[in-house]
Amino acid sequence: MSNEVPASDRALLVSVRAGDKTAREALASRIGRSSYILALQLTGGSETARDIAQDSVLRFFQHLDRFDADRPINPWLYQIVRNRVRDLGRRNRLRRHESLDEWLEQGRPEAIDPLADPAAAAERNDLRRRLWQAISALTDGHREIIVLRDYHNLSYRGIAEVLSIPQGTVMSRLHAARTNLREIIEAEGETFPHQPTNRGPKR
Amino acid sequence: MSETPHQFDETLLSGYLDGELTQGDAQRVRLHLEECPDCRNATDELHKLREATMNSEFRVPDDTQWDETPRGAVSRFLHTFGWLIAGLWVVGIGAYLVWQIATGSESLQFEGMLGFGVLLAVGLIILSALIDRLKVRKNDPYRKVLK
Repeated sequence: MSNEVPASDRALLVSVRAGDKTAREALASRIGRSSYILALQLTGGSETARDIAQDSVLRFFQHLDRFDADRPINPWLYQIVRNRVRDLGRRNRLRRHESLDEWLEQGRPEAIDPLADPAAAAERNDLRRRLWQAISALTDGHREIIVLRDYHNLSYRGIAEVLSIPQGTVMSRLHAARTNLREIIEAEGETFPHQPTNRGPKR
Repeated sequence: MSETPHQFDETLLSGYLDGELTQGDAQRVRLHLEECPDCRNATDELHKLREATMNSEFRVPDDTQWDETPRGAVSRFLHTFGWLIAGLWVVGIGAYLVWQIATGSESLQFEGMLGFGVLLAVGLIILSALIDRLKVRKNDPYRKVLK
């Protein structure tokens, strides 16, 4: 589960602290990608997300020596990203919200199921684009809690840590967000077929 | 006997989907779903939405986009050393001025003005930086991210 520290993260942290430059680059790459995707999902802008990811990587390393290696990295990292997004929002330098579907990777169904019907795969891709259009239309609070849980797979405890809210509030806010998302999609007459999971172990 | 839809706390459906409920609450939801088609349908829809979200992939720039090297030990040392030199220089100039005043040197006026101007400028810069630091320390949204 997400509250556990993945062995790879812990090993990277230990190596980085021991001065291993390769591990430092690997960790920078890993957190840069995660930061970028979350920033993109929260802001909708690729350029803004890139700036936020770079800044988050720097802040991450600046405070790394004070970070407890027994804790999972992601809640801490996502809190840095989220705070940076909010900072930019407060300074009105954030262009909200370009549609996220523009940045969606085209699905590669052949990697999931060699027998997958190309037409069905195209339909799924189209539905995903519509889904992220709907997520873009949510309020900031609803969008962030949905992406933290359903995309980044944070536990409720991790989400509570990132959003600085009580753990009990996470479930109610998440349910409200999902209900809202469902209503937006239903208002557009969309339905979502069951989809096989094509992502690896959750971060 | 299971709860009617009006009595049932629907937020539990999300907790059930996410596997975040206690055993008792999860069992309560299971019993309710067996008898409530509306909640069953809602749970099914939420499940599909969650799957579609988690199955999405985003284009990510290559690693060179964020390979800025974080400030290392050498950089931190030079930064600290630079400020140390600046601080010592300010103290030296100050001490020199005090000595000039104490000995009543003839060149006191020119050197005094020079020294006063430099000291004032550096003092203002330091004060400015200090104010920024205090402001950041007070409002730093990142301090909570540390353990």
